[in-house]
Amino acid sequence: MLTIVIRAIVIYIVILFLYRLMGKRQLGEMQPFELVLTLIIADLATIPMAEISVPVLHGIVPLLTLVVMHFIITLLSRWSTKFSNFVSGKPVIVIDPNGVDYKAIKNLNLSLDDIMESLRGEGYFKLEQVEYAIMETNGKISVLPKSNFAPVTNGDLKIKVQEGGVPINIVSEGKIIAENLKLAQLSRKDVDMMLDRAKIKRLKDCLVLAIDLSGEAYIQGYGEKYQTFKFKPLDGVKL
Amino acid sequence: MTKFKWFQLISILVLLGVLVYVVVIEDVLVKESLDSVSKYCLQIEATYAQMGGIKNSEIVRLTDNLEYSWLKNEERLCFLVNHKSIQEIGVEISRLRSYLEKDDDKEFCASLNLVQLYAEQYNHFMGASIHNVL
Repeated sequence: MLTIVIRAIVIYIVILFLYRLMGKRQLGEMQPFELVLTLIIADLATIPMAEISVPVLHGIVPLLTLVVMHFIITLLSRWSTKFSNFVSGKPVIVIDPNGVDYKAIKNLNLSLDDIMESLRGEGYFKLEQVEYAIMETNGKISVLPKSNFAPVTNGDLKIKVQEGGVPINIVSEGKIIAENLKLAQLSRKDVDMMLDRAKIKRLKDCLVLAIDLSGEAYIQGYGEKYQTFKFKPLDGVKL
Repeated sequence: MTKFKWFQLISILVLLGVLVYVVVIEDVLVKESLDSVSKYCLQIEATYAQMGGIKNSEIVRLTDNLEYSWLKNEERLCFLVNHKSIQEIGVEISRLRSYLEKDDDKEFCASLNLVQLYAEQYNHFMGASIHNVL
């Protein structure tokens, strides 16, 4: 049993390292060759873990080979668009101003129901709302709605809004994130002031405290409703 | 190039190096181990033909050497190949020793032939060849 435990740990570390090496894209939107890689890795890893007579190297060597192959394919895809199109395919327009392109849908081995499902997932329940729909290489659908159905933006209404930027999490689950506190150029005193304003007595009672560049603070204590208020703009802070 | 890109590039080169090293080492080790078994078997066969029996110190010495050499190589091979695939040679070499003690010429020769056969067969399925790839 100890052998299996040690082998599992070794393989886990190797796979963790390999996934880090492949970059974050592997975890999110996968291209076809990345999906293949993920499926094979999962299968390969279990063989030496369960079978003691098989050396760990029998599991690790194919993993390393696949990662090297993945790296080479990624590199070639970056260099050559033709190669990239061959490996990952091309985005395909499935709905254009003339309506549904059934031939394109058939070429993708999809049905109209699949397209409708993807459109609903994007928030469009009627085909007439869609100007263009493009099936991306990672299998997701991108939709450009017709102007009549596009959401109204501040730009359309000519409303000037100060950019808030990405909020910085200062407190998370009762603990100050020192790195973010430094990034926001705030002090412990500022945090205490915000806690006082939200009537949260102790730091450990605070579930979350975040502030954006415009100084808009979001704070919530455990078991309490959140509050927002204007603190002070984070001038000179670069994210 | 960013730090991560450098890390990625260096890691891939290291992995490539590791792969080449493992592949070469496996090939060399398998060939060396099996050639050594075949060599000892041929020597035992020749000595048997010369002496006309197994009850002599030279055959005992060669069998000892064969066993010692195989045990040493088997230990290293276990890092690279499936243990189950190579255990038959070890079992058959142990039998050789037992037949030697019993002075059973017939069984000894049969076992020796088996060891030779395994060494030849293993070379086929453990080495890199188009048959194995396909």
